Amino acid sequence: MSWFIQTCRSSLGKKYIMALTGFLLGGFLLVHTIGNSTIFWGREAFNAYAHHLHSLGIFVPIFEIGLYSIFFIHVITGVLLWLQNRKARGPQKYEVQTNPGGRTWGSQTMIYTGATIFVFILIHLANFHFVEKTEVLTISDIVTKVLNNPGFTLIYIIGMSVLALHISHGFWSLLQTFGINDPQYNAPIRVVTWAVAAIMITVFVLITLLLVVSQNQLLG
Amino acid sequence: MSSKTINIIVKIWRQNGPHAKGSFEDHALKDISTGSSFLEMLDVMNEALANKGIEPIAFDHDCREGICGMCGAVVNGTAHGPEKETTLCQLHMRSFKDGDTIIIEPFRATGFPVVKDLIVDRSALDRIIQAGGFVSVNSGSPQDANSILIPQHIAEQAMDAAACIGCGACAAACPNAAPMLFIGAKISQLALLPQGQHEAKTRAVNMVSCMDENGFGNCGNERVCENVCPKGISIRHIARMNREYLKGSFFRDE
Amino acid sequence: MQLDSKIPEGPLAEKWDKARFSNKLVNPANKRKYEVIVVGTGLAGGAAAATLGELGYNVKSFCIQDSARRAHSIAAQGGINAAKNYQGDGDSIFRLFYDTIKGGDFRAREANVYRLAQVSNNIIDQGVAQGIPFAREYGGTLANRSFGGAQVSRTFYARGQTGQQLLIGAYSAMMRQVAAGKVTLYTRQEMVDLVVVDGEAKGIITRNLITGEIERHSAHAVVLATGGYGNVYFLSTNAMASNVTAAWRAHKRGAGFANPCMVQIHPTCIPVHGDFQSKLTLMSESLRNDGRVWVPKNPNETRKAADIPESERDYYLERKYPSFGNLVPRDVASRNAKQACDDGLGVGETKLGVYLDFAEAIERDGLDVILRKYGNLFHMYEKITASNPTKEPMMIYPAVHYTMGGLWVDYELMTTIPGLYAAGEANFSDHGANRLGASALMQGLADGYFVLPYTIGNYLANVAPEPTTTNHEAFDEAETNAREFTNKLLKNTGSGKSGLQTVDYYHKKLGQIMWDDCGMGRNKEGLEHALKVIPEIREEFWENVTVPGNRNELNQSLERAGRVADFLEFGELMVRDALEREESCGGHFREESQTEENEAKRDDENFSHVSVWEHKGEGNKPVMHKEPLTFENVTPSQRSYK
Repeated sequence: MSWFIQTCRSSLGKKYIMALTGFLLGGFLLVHTIGNSTIFWGREAFNAYAHHLHSLGIFVPIFEIGLYSIFFIHVITGVLLWLQNRKARGPQKYEVQTNPGGRTWGSQTMIYTGATIFVFILIHLANFHFVEKTEVLTISDIVTKVLNNPGFTLIYIIGMSVLALHISHGFWSLLQTFGINDPQYNAPIRVVTWAVAAIMITVFVLITLLLVVSQNQLLG
Repeated sequence: MSSKTINIIVKIWRQNGPHAKGSFEDHALKDISTGSSFLEMLDVMNEALANKGIEPIAFDHDCREGICGMCGAVVNGTAHGPEKETTLCQLHMRSFKDGDTIIIEPFRATGFPVVKDLIVDRSALDRIIQAGGFVSVNSGSPQDANSILIPQHIAEQAMDAAACIGCGACAAACPNAAPMLFIGAKISQLALLPQGQHEAKTRAVNMVSCMDENGFGNCGNERVCENVCPKGISIRHIARMNREYLKGSFFRDE
Repeated sequence: MQLDSKIPEGPLAEKWDKARFSNKLVNPANKRKYEVIVVGTGLAGGAAAATLGELGYNVKSFCIQDSARRAHSIAAQGGINAAKNYQGDGDSIFRLFYDTIKGGDFRAREANVYRLAQVSNNIIDQGVAQGIPFAREYGGTLANRSFGGAQVSRTFYARGQTGQQLLIGAYSAMMRQVAAGKVTLYTRQEMVDLVVVDGEAKGIITRNLITGEIERHSAHAVVLATGGYGNVYFLSTNAMASNVTAAWRAHKRGAGFANPCMVQIHPTCIPVHGDFQSKLTLMSESLRNDGRVWVPKNPNETRKAADIPESERDYYLERKYPSFGNLVPRDVASRNAKQACDDGLGVGETKLGVYLDFAEAIERDGLDVILRKYGNLFHMYEKITASNPTKEPMMIYPAVHYTMGGLWVDYELMTTIPGLYAAGEANFSDHGANRLGASALMQGLADGYFVLPYTIGNYLANVAPEPTTTNHEAFDEAETNAREFTNKLLKNTGSGKSGLQTVDYYHKKLGQIMWDDCGMGRNKEGLEHALKVIPEIREEFWENVTVPGNRNELNQSLERAGRVADFLEFGELMVRDALEREESCGGHFREESQTEENEAKRDDENFSHVSVWEHKGEGNKPVMHKEPLTFENVTPSQRSYK
């Protein structure tokens, strides 16, 4: 096992951890997106989906623990890398800061978008996960209520946008980290990166907007 | 080839030693020919300083034709200056305008401590090569050169990577101060060629761990390195290194 | 001074085998008891350090740069010759030998050149085994091209970066030995003296270029692979730090210096464009395959090149040498370019340039074809001059490129000081009076990988394997000398004396004299003038040079000052040698020795020898010794390109 620890501690090993956990979190996000899309079919469909998830019994906490672990490994490794990189960069900054090419908004802000997402997720969990749900107050009610608060509407739209920025670099970056970079595929990879990020974000934002615009019908 | 002259202000880093505190120094230079190279402009400045009995600015340089990898500084925020695929010695003053202020700083990174003024210690790159940037073959009587066949396109790709001049601009420009392009180029060159296969796995692992020991950062896949690389080496070679490292870590034949 | 070339008896083709068999060997278990100093990390030095380390010796490797990968071997573009005959076009070891010795105008030793041709093949094998990405054919076999007017395709290449790739190969091999603990690197260290103990080389004195400390290093043998002295001309294609210091100081300790006047001037360099110019850049010779060289007929021509009608152009190479035309050898092309400019027909701002015109080739073959062949060179030219060679003709002018002279060595590469070896451009051995294209890389690596590691054993086998020491009084003396030398250079620092001049001022002054009087064309009058002026400049230098900064730190002005001080002494020896050699030969044209058609005339009767100079102490005239050259396998012929 010593080789495994050694690998995980090396700079490239940490990159693999970031890439793998990022990939898994992205996968979860995708499933989450698809699941949430049920709301386009009405609140019954949405509640049924939630109910179905909760009926998985023992799998729910197992899945949750797994997801939290992955999430925290991603966060902790990211912070470690950030600290190590700051140290490697040294105390004396360049007098002139330019971008000679290559850097994107997404790539430059990974640590900041990451931190923002972290806060956003805490809010998100507080809003929807760690709340008491009853027969009367279903998940769709909670969601509708929260999202109709203009403050939360804004927080959710910002959160989604920041996530999009994070993914715009993250997805391409994880492929590069795993060594997937070939002129034959680079153009499609770029397209897929943007498309995945755009679709996920569009869906979430649409849900938010949908809930805001059509609250009466849904609540009715 | 007609050249004119320009007046410029050079704001240049002065630091007496590794532990000394550095600062910028301003020099106004008159009548610099746009036909002169960037380093010749520094020569002119240094000559004027020497004539006044002031110590010239120390900077590394040698071949002055873009191949030895000795020169390098950050000019207006960009390693090797504003032109693409150009070393500092190949940069010419025609890239600047009359009245410009040019800010010149040493390559900065924890792995490249400043020795004096613009000179930095890049011996970490040598140590990284010592960790595995070679094929273990003794001089003597290897097999006939043509008994190792290498398809042209593979040889060309290996040459793309091998073009690295070891200047360290990749690490200097990298937001994380990582010389991944330097290491990637060497690992990739040898991974592409049959000669390098036998040691491919240990090479990648050893070179990367040597990089870590020397205080460099991690690749953030930001691609700045390939944009400042004077030889235009692609981060595709970093991707190949990542694959090699993965193989080397998870599929050791031990 | 005894000059025993130690060439083995017997037929040419068997000499090297014979030498290797008769050489004494050092027991493998004993090798680890020996220390060898290698100064310089170019092709010769890097290859020697790596190979000696592999053999088990303890190597101390020194270089003035920050890394062992920077030496100027790295700048060689074209390629490396080998007698592989992969193309089946009639090449052979003997043909490579013959071409090389003829190209050198019959001023090199047969045995040495033949050995060079023999081991040329091993170099390619070695390079490929190291992972050097040589150019390949589609099928995967190695590609070759014809180079420098050779009639066979024997040049191996890696894009335009062959020197770089070969050097990185040697460097990597050396780094492997560093990791194995067999080679110790001493970077940013400059050798400032050789230590001779009881007549044998036993160590060196260096200046640590970072701390300024003077250090002692001892060994059982010392190898100098410190390159050429082209920078004596100030402007050359050499790297800025290339210098003669190590070789010169070894010479002052008793090593004979051979043929110092033999310098190669390369015809296709980018012309000088101003007095701020620091060095010259070479353009590959291959450009002359399609480019036409010309100057305007009218010295007062002011029109742009394209506006000058055909009838008012002088394609002087085609006119004078109808059968070779623009493809005459380097020396002839260079000489004629200088002639045209001396006649006032030069072009460009400085009037020191001739046109190299691709207009006709572009019209004939199409722009695509020409760009495919020379695109990267055009690009490089445009980067430097901001002029596009497909739109207006290139301008070129000759520049000092390579020095054939160097420390005298015997067949085993040992100098006249036992235990001191010289390899690569630092020795004089294989190129005679003129070096052929693509053979410098070959010689450096041959010396480093395949010759020196064998022959050095022959010396070490007779040396007791006792630990070396730096406590000998010879080290004390050399160290004191080195300190005094540095202090002398710094005597004007902070003195406030008026009339002081910088190091570069004197270097440029020396360079101009060397170029004017001891360049391509030489005559008695000019050489005698130089002989009078150089000591005057030297005196002025020691009186009035200003070197800012101090000696206990990194001080680049001080580094340069020491090197220029040596050039100022060495330049004089070059001029002396040129004065003695009253024949036109290889790279240089002695105006007193020319044919009726104003072509170079070699004088085999009186000058078929190597001139070896012995230092006789400060202020004394050096003494010249002759090593006669005999030719048993080839017949010296006069070169003609008409």
